[in-house]
Amino acid sequence: MKARILVVDDDEALSEMIGIVLQNDGFDASFCYEGSGALEAFREFNPDLVLLDLMLPGIDGIEVCKQIRAESDVPVVMLTAKSDTADVVRGLESGADDYVPKPFKPAELVARVRARLRPNETHAAETLQVGEVSIDVAGHQVTRGKDAVSLTPLEFDLLVTMARKPWQVFSREQLLEAVWGYRHAADTRLVNVHVQRLRSKIEIDPEKPQIIQTVRGVGYKAGTAS
Amino acid sequence: MSSHTSTGKELVPLDVSAQPRSKRFSIAKAQSWIRRPLLVLRHRWQRHLIYRTVISTLLFTTLALLAAGAFLSNQIASTLYEERVNQISKESERGLAQARSILESASTTDRASTQALVNSTLASLEGDGATVVRDFVLMPIAGDQSLYVGPMASGSLTTRVIPADLAERVAGEQGIYWRSVELGTDEQAQPGLVVGTKVLIPPGREYGLYLVYDLSSVQSTLEFINRAMAFTGLILLAVVGFVAWSVARTVVRPVADAAYVSERIASGDLDRRMKVAGKDEVARLGTAFNHMAHSLQEQITQLNNLSAMQQRFVSDVSHELRTPLTTVRMAAEVIHDAREDFDPLTARSAELMYNQIERFQHLLNDLLEVSRFDAGVAVLDRESTDLNAIARKVVETATPVADEYGSIIRLNAPSEGCVAEVDPRRVERIIRNLVLNAVEHGESNPIDITIAANQSAVAVSVRDYGIGMSEEACQHVFDRFWRADPARARTTGGSGLGLSISMEDTRLHEGRLEAWGKPQVGSVFRLTLPRSEDQDIDSSPLPLEPAVPENILPPVGDSFPLTGEVPKIGYTPLVLGLDDVLADDDVTDPSTTSIEIKKEEN
Repeated sequence: MKARILVVDDDEALSEMIGIVLQNDGFDASFCYEGSGALEAFREFNPDLVLLDLMLPGIDGIEVCKQIRAESDVPVVMLTAKSDTADVVRGLESGADDYVPKPFKPAELVARVRARLRPNETHAAETLQVGEVSIDVAGHQVTRGKDAVSLTPLEFDLLVTMARKPWQVFSREQLLEAVWGYRHAADTRLVNVHVQRLRSKIEIDPEKPQIIQTVRGVGYKAGTAS
Repeated sequence: MSSHTSTGKELVPLDVSAQPRSKRFSIAKAQSWIRRPLLVLRHRWQRHLIYRTVISTLLFTTLALLAAGAFLSNQIASTLYEERVNQISKESERGLAQARSILESASTTDRASTQALVNSTLASLEGDGATVVRDFVLMPIAGDQSLYVGPMASGSLTTRVIPADLAERVAGEQGIYWRSVELGTDEQAQPGLVVGTKVLIPPGREYGLYLVYDLSSVQSTLEFINRAMAFTGLILLAVVGFVAWSVARTVVRPVADAAYVSERIASGDLDRRMKVAGKDEVARLGTAFNHMAHSLQEQITQLNNLSAMQQRFVSDVSHELRTPLTTVRMAAEVIHDAREDFDPLTARSAELMYNQIERFQHLLNDLLEVSRFDAGVAVLDRESTDLNAIARKVVETATPVADEYGSIIRLNAPSEGCVAEVDPRRVERIIRNLVLNAVEHGESNPIDITIAANQSAVAVSVRDYGIGMSEEACQHVFDRFWRADPARARTTGGSGLGLSISMEDTRLHEGRLEAWGKPQVGSVFRLTLPRSEDQDIDSSPLPLEPAVPENILPPVGDSFPLTGEVPKIGYTPLVLGLDDVLADDDVTDPSTTSIEIKKEEN
């Protein structure tokens, strides 16, 4: 089955070009040219992934991203013309999983899309425990005590990656490669922002994290610091 | 007294030490008392026009008053004196002639009657209601024994007041002679006038009869006049001083005001203006000054706006170009990927288009970066960073490019101790630009990267043994879009902004980026960065100019002359966790990735 991708971008030429590239690589693309119609198009098309421009007429990309996140965990990849720090971080904090700065290469875009569409590795029933948080890997369930915690696939991957090797400290580059599928060093802000989002969901006090620890100068690890 | 102290010295030695000390102290104190006001005066003399004006006015006025006073006093004195002498000479002539006729016509023959006659005559002379107090002296001209009357004098006078030369002249001829003399004792000398003539007193003996006038009243009049003049002079001096001060003040104050306001404007307070009151010259100065300040302010604001607009424009253009460029680039890549299906000419065209779009994008990124520097929005993101690790990263990414040029990159770095508080992404970009520049101009010879550190700074030098450059080129190599040889093609498709961006990055760090070169020998670029933000660079740990500039490279494959690591192709850098060493929410600027190494398409 072809993966379905919704492209939300006000530049029709670019949208069409992205469509051509995606179709070339075997995806099914649909388009929306303005922010106000994005949520409707999302509901109608029911995509597997959303490519979302940050600068949109009507409602801007960050708002659209929040709307989509409110009702779905579908991966969102942002397209950004402004590489300004604040915009990228705001985009990631509003729930986007990844971003591709313009101008990008087709291969780069496709790689990012594929990485986000990567089918979850099917595993034998496996349960991981980090502090009070237990993770049912096969069932994609995370519970904290008795409460179920809702995580996006990306956050789930991030948590599972670290929880599987609680003895290991992961550098941001290692996490980028393991979770996002980057082979080359990229923007480590992705890791920072998503670790914060994950903490806000699973930690009692995100300011004093117990599940995902920061190891100064190296990166992150699951469980209590040794 | 001296003998007393000398015995005291011997007896009480303690005093000896105490005395000079207190003396020295008092001398120092006195000196400071003198010096301090002198210094204050000198300072004011140099700093304040008003002091100079008033002091010089007072000085010149004093000189003029003194001269005028001296002249006046002199004139008055001589006039008074002459007048008095005239008066006296008339009176004395009359008196003396009268006395003479009385004495000469006397017919006394004995001592007693002669004496009585002389006494009465002289007494009348003394009294005689003259305007000036006068006394007489009578003295015989020749020391004759047979005199009825001896020397006589009235008041406290003696015959000694008569000067010898006057007595001689009186003795010699008939006539009235006068001479000015000093009366009284030496301490209280009074001016006086002696008028004398020869008289005959029975029994026919010659006498000198002198009238002595006391002129002290003239002297006191003169002194009174002098005192009055001095007092008037002082009052005049005070008035002139005050006038000079107030005039200078009215002129100097607006000038000082203008100076103060100009200083404020110069230091950036463009809204500062002078106060203007009235319509006089001072007010005109103020108005003109304010007018100038206003037009200056307008021009500065206009320039600032223009500059901001231009920067904004460059930034906007760069952003606006990105979206169409993305489309074009994707289209070019799709066409490029399918070029094998095209005829050779179209295929080559596809390749050219693809490569030039790459270059265009590169240029756009660099332009955007430069506009960020110009707008002053570029900020440093300092972290404790190991330069060795950065250099290894750069070597790794630059090696494919170097391979293409047939160069090898050799890294000579100490194993540790090159840690500095810098922005790792910017430093990586600087070193990468330097290395790629060296590869481009290295003529397939090796590239040597050397790292060193000292107390205050860390340094990286990148040396190539290629075409080198002239001294003039060294000065311009960091200029935007500068090319050593305009005819030489840019083979790596660099934007021409790489080195100037490196220079801006270095400036942000308050470091130094310097170039050395010699045609056909090679060039050296040296980056020196302070260890931390508040550290100044004492000296660079590395020399800029190579010790043996003529020593053209050891053959390829030889070990690096300085012992160190020689990275091989495909060298894997250690993950030292140099990125985001600090906080989680440590957010960095993605623009630092603007200069990419084109690995894939090469």
